[in-house]
Amino acid sequence: MIKDFTNGIVKVNPIFVLALGLCPTLAISTSIDNAIGMGASVIFVLLFSNLIISLLRNVIPKEVRIPCFIVIIATFVTIVSFALQAYLPALNESLGIYVPLITVNCIILGRAEAFASKNPVSRSVLDALGIGLGFTLSLIMISIIRELLGSGGISVFGYGFTLPFSPATFFIMPAGAFLVMGLLLGLFKKVGVIR
Amino acid sequence: MKESWKRVIVLTSIVAISVVVLSSIYNITEPEIAKQKEIKFEEMLQSIFPLATDYSEKKGIYEVYSDNKRVGYAFMADGTGYGGDIEILVGVNEDKTIKGIKILKHTETPGLGAKITERGFTDQFGGKSIGDIRLKKEGGKIDAITGATISSSAVVDTVYEKYMEKIKMMEEK
Repeated sequence: MIKDFTNGIVKVNPIFVLALGLCPTLAISTSIDNAIGMGASVIFVLLFSNLIISLLRNVIPKEVRIPCFIVIIATFVTIVSFALQAYLPALNESLGIYVPLITVNCIILGRAEAFASKNPVSRSVLDALGIGLGFTLSLIMISIIRELLGSGGISVFGYGFTLPFSPATFFIMPAGAFLVMGLLLGLFKKVGVIR
Repeated sequence: MKESWKRVIVLTSIVAISVVVLSSIYNITEPEIAKQKEIKFEEMLQSIFPLATDYSEKKGIYEVYSDNKRVGYAFMADGTGYGGDIEILVGVNEDKTIKGIKILKHTETPGLGAKITERGFTDQFGGKSIGDIRLKKEGGKIDAITGATISSSAVVDTVYEKYMEKIKMMEEK
């Protein structure tokens, strides 16, 4: 069962192996704060949607499963969105449109369809945590590189340092996101972390 | 027949539960969200009018007071930039010159267009009369941000256009 958890981090890492959820990945990995905020939001939504969908897996008729999944996912995304607006307005602003878009994030629908709707609750929860953590860690890796090079320093919740040379703005632009992600993916394949 | 009813019932129940859950969470968070918006607005207003102690709103025009004496006006200006909507709070002095501007909301490119929020750009508006609110290459007195001409001119045009719209109402007061 522990495999269900660890699989999500390396073997079926959502970003580097499954290549899912790339739109928010590329868009918000401009700073580490954003990556952590986005990762936490996705973990929350994934955990609860997997939990509920797994609980209801024998109740939901298969012909209407997709609309059911989407409604369940959208409910949790809306909860996250309200909570961010109310309690973390600064983070909400920098994540912007990508919070509501978690609804159609294919990682979450993918796990609902491929895992939670076929497996018992305990395994689905572990799967959600593994995949969610894999997503968050990958996001943080990309954003460390982009923030360091593109903004000329690192700042996590207000703590950090700045580099003594002027930043290469290119790295916080969309093209920089593709480049950093591609290079990381290539590197991981080369050293054999992922297949 | 029985199967198809099951589909309807399950999907409807899930939607119904979702509606109940979300409306109760909305009720809990709504006052907090409204408060956050107000805090942000007041911070912005304060940064344009450092001496402001109070304000009142009527038909989209905010009258700003300092110790019960009116020191100026403010209004919201919405426009479209390079990446999406831009929302600007514009402060106006009693003599109808611009007191200052603040970008409340934007989705411009980070590192380029997003520089419209930086003081190096917004401070240029302070003290200018409306005729000077044009980019330098168009005969005004505002320097565009290098590499972000569209975002810069969007801010300038939005401020100019909305000022023209609102100036009548301010004069009536």
